[in-house]
Amino acid sequence: MSRDRQGRGLQVISRTLGRLLVRAGYHVFVSQDVMSRIRGGHNFARVRISTGPVAADGEKAEILVALDPALVVRHVADLAPDAVVLTDAAGGMPEGLNAVRLPLVDLAREHGRDAVMANAVAVGAALALVGLELTGLEDLFESQFAAKGGDVVRRNMAAAEAGHRAVVEDMKRCCPRKLAGAEPGDRLLISGAEAIALGAIAANVRVVTGYPMSPATPIVEYCFRHAREAGLIVEQTEDEISAANLAIGAAFAGARAMTCTAGGGFCLMNEALSLAGMTETPLVLCVGMRPGPGTGLATRTAQADLLFVIYAGHGEFPRAVLTPADAAQGFQAAQDAFRIAEKCQTPVIILFDQFMADALWTVERSELRVENRQERQVPEGVQPYGYRRYEVGEGGLSPMVLPGTPEQLVYADSDEHNEAGHITESAAMRVRMVDKRNAKTAGIRQEAEVKVEVEAKAKAEKETLVFCFGSSRGVVAEAVARLREKGRKVAMVHLHYIWPFPVEAVTALAAKGAKVVTVEQNYSGQLAQLLAQECGLRVAGTVRRYDGRQFSVAEVEAGLEQLTREVG
Amino acid sequence: MPDVTPWSSPAEKTWCPGCGNFGILNALKAALVAAKLEPSQVVVVGGIGQSGKVAQYLGANFLHGLHGRALPHALGVKLANPGLKVIAVGGDGDMYGEGGNHLLHAFRRNLDIVCLVHNNGVYGLTKGQAAPTSGPGFATKNRPMGTLVPAFNPLAAGLVMGGSFIARGFAGDLKHLTRLIGDALKHKGFGFIDILQPCVTFNHVNTFGWFRERVYDLALEGHDTSDEDAARARALEWPAETGDARIPLGILYRAWRAAYESCGQPGKPVVRLKSDLGVVKKALEDFE
Repeated sequence: MSRDRQGRGLQVISRTLGRLLVRAGYHVFVSQDVMSRIRGGHNFARVRISTGPVAADGEKAEILVALDPALVVRHVADLAPDAVVLTDAAGGMPEGLNAVRLPLVDLAREHGRDAVMANAVAVGAALALVGLELTGLEDLFESQFAAKGGDVVRRNMAAAEAGHRAVVEDMKRCCPRKLAGAEPGDRLLISGAEAIALGAIAANVRVVTGYPMSPATPIVEYCFRHAREAGLIVEQTEDEISAANLAIGAAFAGARAMTCTAGGGFCLMNEALSLAGMTETPLVLCVGMRPGPGTGLATRTAQADLLFVIYAGHGEFPRAVLTPADAAQGFQAAQDAFRIAEKCQTPVIILFDQFMADALWTVERSELRVENRQERQVPEGVQPYGYRRYEVGEGGLSPMVLPGTPEQLVYADSDEHNEAGHITESAAMRVRMVDKRNAKTAGIRQEAEVKVEVEAKAKAEKETLVFCFGSSRGVVAEAVARLREKGRKVAMVHLHYIWPFPVEAVTALAAKGAKVVTVEQNYSGQLAQLLAQECGLRVAGTVRRYDGRQFSVAEVEAGLEQLTREVG
Repeated sequence: MPDVTPWSSPAEKTWCPGCGNFGILNALKAALVAAKLEPSQVVVVGGIGQSGKVAQYLGANFLHGLHGRALPHALGVKLANPGLKVIAVGGDGDMYGEGGNHLLHAFRRNLDIVCLVHNNGVYGLTKGQAAPTSGPGFATKNRPMGTLVPAFNPLAAGLVMGGSFIARGFAGDLKHLTRLIGDALKHKGFGFIDILQPCVTFNHVNTFGWFRERVYDLALEGHDTSDEDAARARALEWPAETGDARIPLGILYRAWRAAYESCGQPGKPVVRLKSDLGVVKKALEDFE
């Protein structure tokens, strides 16, 4: 666990440390806890290091790195027995802890010529504590700071070396926490937001829009940074209304387009969502969940917009909602979203939670597969001016032609329309078009049915099925594994394609299981409601949390044990 | 008649007899034909109201979308494919009310599109409520005693926001309007025209006759379209508190600055870019 008061460089420190450890063969999981303010506040990152895959925070910290000793007191309860507390030599801190007091700021001034380099001193010191050398660190600093120019890389390196040296010299008293040896692998450390952005680029996105709002901003920022080499147009619009409608205009013109926002901004996009449904425009929306209502907890996590997103927008039209758990699923979800949107000519929503977006996940490079991308299928042999945008085809699908095609016209209409796209009030045509649009739901549902994921083998056993979606997966999987070790009959079912609800697959699973419970980050048990509504399942209980923080493995384990007991 | 017809439409025109919209539609079509544009190269994005139906009736590509959102749609179309000629059409409710924020930023962006606003000073399709451009005292069902606030001045707002082509036309002078739309089509930037369009059903104050008594052609009075101060003075002549104000027609202001879609965007229209897996492979290296 590492923390500082200014929030300065916290993300740099945790990412640099994380990448070095991943390169050394470890699996690393980094989560951020950040306050909604520009500077300062109580910000920290948790870094979990393992020789095997990790997708959740650890329970207690073995090492606490605090640039300011005054803040150690806030984390005493989070420490494992005998945890090492690495902090600055100057300033008071609680008694009785296993402290390594180093002059972090003085070393930073001396070797890095800047107090800010205390971060680098701490990185060097932390690596010494876990028994690692600084091999490869300079390369990482290079990739982080090269753009800043000058001698920033060298000064950071000098600061890190000073921190490393100080711990090594003091090794006896420092009680190092040597890591077990790790198997090298071809792995990456990437945030959920970056993975979604990169997945979209892999899916040939060309226009990305947004209005800054946590937790969606990092997706747009990633796209901004890579706009040139990836051939993207990235627009920060005057508001979310414009962001969504701009994307619709671009998609109508033939570009794959995506807009990014949080629940609050998505409220403003509902009108556009409905328009995309009516005009049958392929539109991908990334919607990040944070605790509401209203402004809520701007920088924290929740899973309370599930039902909202599923039902958002006036009128009836098909949509897909994907709820990826982590970076690997986010990368895949972005590609799936564009494939479905393009094929079914309808909006697709990637619904993620803040925790998923901001955490750094270790993924095998081979997990990030780029699928063959299908370019827009332009129908051939259409007579001049014979193209009709809303011709009723199989599964409700119509051929798509790009505006600008010589001797063809494309009419996209928000009013009820005939097959050509002209406004109509004919009752018969209205029924025909409603049926056409909604017929596309079956095609989308087929995609969802095959994606229901069951962790552990819930075969014929009478097991308790633990349903979850989004980033809860890592925590639930670990809690379920612990319960199974204790001999409990439980299995996790994670839904990362949640709408149209995979009714058949879930019903078939539930028929084998003994009972159904959910784990979700909201007050009202929204997934439990869906299971009841869509599959007629009686949900025996829900482990809930809605304080804006991610579940811990222990609390999910305890919650599930209690639910198992209660319902016998 | 077939469903899809260039420069014409099988759709029944649902405007009131005598409506100014007929003339505006004809002027737009004449200007596009004179500019030698093919209908397949033109995209009309329409707002919702009687004005937005121009999209349906013109016989070019159209995206007939939402009330107030024509400009964001136009931005999306133009950025994705700058090769298309994009025309945003809406009413005073669309552009000055519901979509007011988009309009302010459209002036700043200077996207190379044409924006036509049918300004009739009243809401037609919802049957007679006050518009942002209704003059003070304009009585409606909602406010029988008259509008309480001054009318929105789109030309002055456009000037302040850095608009590069600010003009006013009149549905009662189609020759002038056709020429004006032609100038806006030629302008490399945001060609904005506020069009005085008498509503024969709901606005019994600002009639064709009322306008004819007040309008004058700026070009005939030696107005310098590059003079921002002069443009501002002309813009402030109307709407006015007094009923005897003169109303300037023509180009108030024209300046040359880079059109938005040419600023720092990929060299090729993005609709024509093919996928490149190398980009993803290389980007992943940042996470090693």
